[in-house]
Amino acid sequence: MDALGSLIDGFSVALTPENLLWALVGVFLGTFVGVLPGIGPALTVALLLPVTYALDPVPAFIMFAGIYYGGMYGGSTTSILLNTPGESASIITALEGNMMAKKGRGATALATAAIGSFVAGTIATLGITFAAPFMADIAIDYFQSPEYLALIILAFTTVATLLGRSMVRGLVSLFIGLALGLVGIDALTGQSRFTFGNQQLLGGIDVVTVAVGLFAVGETFWVASHMRKDTGEVTTVTDSKWMTKDDWKRSWKPWIRGALLGFPIGSMPAGGAEIPTFLSYSVEKRLSKHPEEFGEGAIEGVAGPEAANNASAAGVLVPLLTLGLPTSATAAILLAAFQRYNLNPGPQLFDQNPELVWGLIASLYIGNLMLLVLNLPLVGMWVKLLSIPRPLLYSGILVFAGLGTWAQSQSVTGLVVLYVIGALGYLMRRFDIPVGPAVVAVILGPMAEIHFRRALQISQGDWSVFYNRPVSGTILVIAALAFIAPAVWRAVQARRQHPAATT
Amino acid sequence: MVEQAPVTDHSPQSTAPPDEPQHGQEGPQEPLSFWQRWGELFMAVGVLVLGIVVLVESQDIRVRQGVVVSPRIIPQIVGAGLVLVAIWYVIDVIRGPHPGGAGGEDAEDVDPEAKTDWSVIGIIAIGLVAYAALMEGVGFIVASAVLFVISAFAMGSRRIVRDVAIGTVLAVGIFLLFDRWLGVRLPDGWVASQL
Repeated sequence: MDALGSLIDGFSVALTPENLLWALVGVFLGTFVGVLPGIGPALTVALLLPVTYALDPVPAFIMFAGIYYGGMYGGSTTSILLNTPGESASIITALEGNMMAKKGRGATALATAAIGSFVAGTIATLGITFAAPFMADIAIDYFQSPEYLALIILAFTTVATLLGRSMVRGLVSLFIGLALGLVGIDALTGQSRFTFGNQQLLGGIDVVTVAVGLFAVGETFWVASHMRKDTGEVTTVTDSKWMTKDDWKRSWKPWIRGALLGFPIGSMPAGGAEIPTFLSYSVEKRLSKHPEEFGEGAIEGVAGPEAANNASAAGVLVPLLTLGLPTSATAAILLAAFQRYNLNPGPQLFDQNPELVWGLIASLYIGNLMLLVLNLPLVGMWVKLLSIPRPLLYSGILVFAGLGTWAQSQSVTGLVVLYVIGALGYLMRRFDIPVGPAVVAVILGPMAEIHFRRALQISQGDWSVFYNRPVSGTILVIAALAFIAPAVWRAVQARRQHPAATT
Repeated sequence: MVEQAPVTDHSPQSTAPPDEPQHGQEGPQEPLSFWQRWGELFMAVGVLVLGIVVLVESQDIRVRQGVVVSPRIIPQIVGAGLVLVAIWYVIDVIRGPHPGGAGGEDAEDVDPEAKTDWSVIGIIAIGLVAYAALMEGVGFIVASAVLFVISAFAMGSRRIVRDVAIGTVLAVGIFLLFDRWLGVRLPDGWVASQL
């Protein structure tokens, strides 16, 4: 299929006045919620999910495109002005951007992040336009259940191990998510399991409830019980000028390099949005004429990583749309949104529902442009949101968490599940266990099980089906390497840094 | 991707090389209290127990004769995985404190030095229980407003009149937007019937 022709069809869907309005509402709400401190992109999408419940699939996903990009953008604003990275991929933006803001260059940092997000988002959306149909074709030709299972295992491995600070903690999170995913009706035999006799649990534990429980309730418990008594101050934006000529000169190459790093890495069927941002940061540091400014507020250190972050977030949509494989917590929630409409992302989606897929992709271009137009002038309003008193902010988050869960489950049991997962989220936060792997595992675990059983049924119980097929065998080898490599790397590093240390 | 950012310390001196994020806090550290040092062990044992529960419960899954793939096998893999990871976790905790762990990662709203304030958690928990209890009988609006006010109080807000006002407006606004306009069914009750 001709990608450009399909894209033009997509624009004809997205450019109707009604859908343009939904895209605008999505961008606005996404930015609004994403800016709020303590709410990262995954929670933004999860909390805004109920807003789309009444819509048809096409406008709903057009709105989601806006929410997704808006949430990303809003998060970077918060990072720069408050030094609270809403997600690990924004750590660097938070570090360098906040240093810039403290030096009175907040507006410049926000501008380079905003324009960089736009540039990177556009490059990455172009990438999606051409990579997605290509990937879908590959999937149709080569991917069956064993390959899908191998990909899911690869995603598990990378999500849990790459660049987390502790591999065992990533795995703990992953397996907790897998255990939660077991609850409900066994898809192949139809019997209930792990429901402990509770009828309400037959439908399983919803990924949105897990995300809201871990990110909203757990986080609120954590922040509330360790609240800073002197409220953290918002770094004010004092500079009036957005970007000088010199700023542009120093920013445009990092934007493009960041996008070129971020998109390919993000679109791989493996987790790790942090990797391109860290890579971009070290590349810019190496190439910069002012390496001494890094760590003190170098504009390249905001422009590059922010572009990389956005491009990789867009890239994540490639495996999501073409393989049905979410590689981030945010993508896991988007997948849940698809499932709500009985849509299964994957290669068939492009044939069966081109209007939806290409309308969504076209909306990414539109949403990206809207973000830039909307946010450069509105930034003053977003900044005001940062000074909402924390007790009110987190209480509001709890109310919305309850709303989202009720809208999903319509039962008190749903709320109880939410609370239990929230308590778990508190403990995970307390002990530095990342929650992202759990969220991804809740939705991918049941998919892995289906592919596992289907593959074994086709092969009559012969396990060699997983490693004898060239594609799935190769993917499994890569997964094994992704599992072993960080451990080896860490051991080497530890030895180099502490010759005889046991810490 | 992962929302909890593993950043240990935002002070300027630690911002220098984010190339190696795993080395957050090094150098001399204050001696840890018993809970700081060993609390994590309870978490690890909890994971172990969860794994055992999964393994035991998976025995309840019925297996029909002659099926190619037993429906027990994936739950058993997950349970065994939990047990193995938990053992690894226990060993990791015993070998030494996780660098920067034990609640070290943080955002600006959080004071990493602060002791856990259990009364805050307790009061918020009361608010959440009240929310679940009021939802079906009394309705979404009252339940949400009550949760909002209790939770804000727990976090130190003492302007109760203002909080009640904001909580009520928020709850009514959400109800009108979602239930009346967007068609997401929320429990109504007396207050909602007056709207």
